[in-house]
Amino acid sequence: MNTEKLINRDKPQKLYIQVFEVLKKKIESGEWGVGSQIPIEEDLCKIYEVSKATIRLAVLELVRQGYLVRQQGKGTFVCKRVIPEGLTMSTSFKELMLEAGVAFSTQVLAQTVVMPTDDLDIKLEIPDDKHIIYIKRLRIIDSEPVVLQETYIPHHICPSLLNEDIADHSILELFEIKYDIPITNVKGYIEVVYAKEDESRLLGLPDNSPALLLEQHFYSGEKQIMYTRSIKRPDRFRLSIEMQKKTY
Amino acid sequence: METIKVVKDVMVDVFDFPHVPYWFSLRQAIGIAKKSLLTSEKCHHPMAILVFDEKYNLMGTLTLKDILKGLEPNFLKPITKAQGLESDESALSALWDGLFFKESLDKATRPVGEAMVPAKFFVQPDDPLTKAAYLMIHNDLVLLPVLEDKKKFVGLVRIKEIFEELSNAVLSA
Repeated sequence: MNTEKLINRDKPQKLYIQVFEVLKKKIESGEWGVGSQIPIEEDLCKIYEVSKATIRLAVLELVRQGYLVRQQGKGTFVCKRVIPEGLTMSTSFKELMLEAGVAFSTQVLAQTVVMPTDDLDIKLEIPDDKHIIYIKRLRIIDSEPVVLQETYIPHHICPSLLNEDIADHSILELFEIKYDIPITNVKGYIEVVYAKEDESRLLGLPDNSPALLLEQHFYSGEKQIMYTRSIKRPDRFRLSIEMQKKTY
Repeated sequence: METIKVVKDVMVDVFDFPHVPYWFSLRQAIGIAKKSLLTSEKCHHPMAILVFDEKYNLMGTLTLKDILKGLEPNFLKPITKAQGLESDESALSALWDGLFFKESLDKATRPVGEAMVPAKFFVQPDDPLTKAAYLMIHNDLVLLPVLEDKKKFVGLVRIKEIFEELSNAVLSA
């Protein structure tokens, strides 16, 4: 291997980032297939003529971004991409996938109107006789369904959403850009649940499988404008939290 | 005689009525009927729920009677009588009370799509009210969907307005 072309010490980019990029390309191209074990640290040091610390940082970043998984006592393996999702201000699924450079598609299973039942009026903070736009979408990555998302929007907030193409457009973008309804804050709740029969079927999981449930309430000022309920395959998502130490 | 009005002159907004998707259960429909029709301050006439599919296409209507019919135990369904024989079926309704928790509560989990009256007939905004009247009378309907260009669901015509307009036209003739 011609390491001179791959790792360039004259470049301003940190060495571990250069190694990260090279290894990431090997995974994304399929040269290192899913389930395969990557070379041990000593071998990677020799191949790229960098220190162990540099290799460790690069591998750590690949683990953090969901490309690799460490198995104690066995080694480091290429895994099916696990998308890390930051618990900060909500990012639309579309933005999250674009940032991660992941090809995805969306199937719209329902785009219709319902009345509130099962405490939906309480969740949306609306009277119990108000019409609600109901949108159900299945998100697919690498031809595999990964998220089943149900979205509830009081009809009076944005009646035109009923006619929008929400397979190719983010609802958050439509609110903020097309309809000038800014999202000012989001409350989210995460839970591990057992997927219901239809949820398991749509996500290609065995019956009664554990899944990640993410519930989000979106506000524009004081008014709640949207509630979403997302069931995610636990083997394709990992939630990350970043905290900064406060200095006194 | 006055000129008969057209449908768009009397049609009402679809959002005057509660909406459910066909997969909602009768139990959920009962809750919606109570909140949106029976206890609401707004006067709903007729008391009906609109049933839609996943693409917001109107599939049918569900009145209070349709909900009760959907809950009816199988043994109360009309049976073919032998010629000349009469029997008092009202006694069977007493059995309903006793067996209610067995059958009717099970039926409450069934989807509203099975109990609704399918929306087979419609009118267009510029159709005369007499056409709406004819369809309602001969098909025993209290509500008729109004479709623009035979596709877009834009409103509903009620028997109330049909009666009002046609009776005024007759009286003023």
